[in-house]
Amino acid sequence: MQEVKVLGVGLHAFGKTGDAVVGNKPVTELCRKAVVDALKDAGVQWKDIQAVSAASSRFSGGKGWGLNGNDIVEEMGSTGIPVYNLSAGCAAGGNAFNIGYTLVASGQYDMVLVMGGEVMPKGFIQTSGVEEVTDPEFLRQRCVGMPGPSFWSLLARRRMHEYGTTEEQFAQVAVKARKCSVHNPYARFQKAITVEDVLASPYVSNPLRLFEICPVSNGAAATVICSAERAKQFSGNAVTVASSTVATMTFDDGLPRGLAAPPPADATLHSEAKLAVTKAFDQAGIGPEDLSLTELQDNTVYYELAFPEEWGICKPGEAESLVAAGETTPTGKMPINPSGGFVSFGEATTAMGVFQVCEMAWQLRGESGGRQVPNAKVALSQTLGLGGNATAVILKK
Amino acid sequence: MERVPAVEGLFTEEGGAKLLGSKCATCGTVYFPKSASCHSPKCDESKIGDFGFGGKGTLWSYSIQDFPPPPPHKFDKPYEIYALGVVDFPAGVRVMGQMSIDNLEDLKVGSEVELVIEPLYHEDDKEFTSWKFKQL
Ligand SMILES: [Zn+2]
Repeated sequence: MQEVKVLGVGLHAFGKTGDAVVGNKPVTELCRKAVVDALKDAGVQWKDIQAVSAASSRFSGGKGWGLNGNDIVEEMGSTGIPVYNLSAGCAAGGNAFNIGYTLVASGQYDMVLVMGGEVMPKGFIQTSGVEEVTDPEFLRQRCVGMPGPSFWSLLARRRMHEYGTTEEQFAQVAVKARKCSVHNPYARFQKAITVEDVLASPYVSNPLRLFEICPVSNGAAATVICSAERAKQFSGNAVTVASSTVATMTFDDGLPRGLAAPPPADATLHSEAKLAVTKAFDQAGIGPEDLSLTELQDNTVYYELAFPEEWGICKPGEAESLVAAGETTPTGKMPINPSGGFVSFGEATTAMGVFQVCEMAWQLRGESGGRQVPNAKVALSQTLGLGGNATAVILKK
Repeated sequence: MERVPAVEGLFTEEGGAKLLGSKCATCGTVYFPKSASCHSPKCDESKIGDFGFGGKGTLWSYSIQDFPPPPPHKFDKPYEIYALGVVDFPAGVRVMGQMSIDNLEDLKVGSEVELVIEPLYHEDDKEFTSWKFKQL
C-alpha cells in the first residue's frame, strides 16, 4: 500500500433551485466548477487525472443510470480514463472517496479525481415511485407514512426519554451550526440564529423543527488525490489520508429501517456508522482523543448529539452539556462540524462525503477563516446512507 | 362501505388483530413482513414458517407527522396530523406503525400499546385499513 494525499479540493456553493447561487444550473455545470477548482487547488491539469471515482446520483444527470462520473469526463474532455460510479444512498460520496483512495493506495494509479454533485427535486426525498409490495420502503410509506424527518424525530424522541434532552438543547445545536456557517461562503444558510429563532420555526416532525433538519440542496464537491510520491512534485498543501473505510449495518442493531427489526443486541443504533468509524480509527492508529475536529452527517441536530457518544468521542448522555459549554464549537475541546454541517448546507446527497473531505483539508491547511479549528492536526468525517451504508475518512496534517 | 387492507397479506382481523410475519424455528428470529428465509448471520440453518403476532407491546419511541407526507402514502383530506410509533412486541420483534390516539399530547415513550387494525384512508367508496398501535 502506498500513502495517499489529498492534493486539491473544490466546492460549488450550495443553494436551492432558482436562487442566486445555483439558479437553474444543471448538475454537470455544478460539478465542473468543483472539479476545475480542485484541479487548480492541486496545481494539476485535467489530462493528469488517471481515473475518476464518482458518486452516482439517483436524482440528476448520469444519463438516468447514475453515470455521473462519465458526465464529468465528457464535460472536461474524454481522455479514455476509467470511471467508477458508486451508489450508496447518502453515503455515495464517501464510497466514491474510498474507491478513489483504494485505487491510489493499491498503486494502480497515482492521481485520481473523486467527485459528487446533485440537483435535488423539491420537498421530501421520495421513494422510487414503483408501487411494489415486495419493496419494504413502499410498504412503509403506503401503510405507515413515514418520510425521513419523521424517522429522525423518532430517534430524537427516544433520546429525550433516555437522557432528558430538551427542545432547547436540540435548538442549541442548530445555533452552533449557524455560528460556524456564518464564516463559510459555500454554505446555503449563512445567517446566525438564536435559540428563540429555532424554537419559533415550525415543527417538521415534533420534536424536530425546520431549522433543526437539513433540507435538500444543489451543490457539488471534488477532490484530487494522489500518491505521496507524486505529491512531492507539487508545491503545497497536500494532507495525508490516514484511513478511509466503508461499512454496512449489522443484523441486530435495533434500528427499524424497514417495517420491523429484531430487538437490539446492544446500545449502538447505527452499527454501520460505528463500524466505519471504528475501522477508520484502527487503520489509522488514531483514537478519538487525537481528533482535532469531526465532520459528521447531521441530517438533523440529533446526530450531532448521538454520534460522538456512539463512537466514544464523548460519554453517553454527555453531549448536551458539551454543546451548552461551547465545547463543540471550533475553539472548544470537541469541535463538531466547523463547516456548519448538513443543517447549514442542506443535503446535496451524493456530494456530501466529498464535501466533508474538502472542509477537512481546508481545516488542516489552516484556511478556514472564522470557522478555523486552531492548530487542527487530525480530522474525522462520516457519512450514512440508505440501505445501511456508512463511510469514514481520517485526514492528518 | 367495503373494508379492505391498504396492502393485502400483511395483517388479518379474523380472531383479533394480527400481523402476518415469519419466524425461524432454528434461531427464533421474527420477521415482518414475511420473509422467505432467515437473514441472521448467527443462524445455522434457515427454517422459516408463518408466524402471526399481535396483542400488547411497549412503545419504544414515537414521532409526529406535522406535514402531509409525500406519495405513495395516502390519507383522507383535509390532512390530520398523526403520530408514528415503534413498538417492541414480546414475540421478539420491533415494529413500526401509525399510532391510534385521540390526543397526541397523551403519547408517552414506554407506555403499553395494543395492535389494532383501523382505517387509513378512503377511496372509490372503500375503506382502506392498516395496522396501528393503540396506547392503553
Ligand atoms: Zn434463523
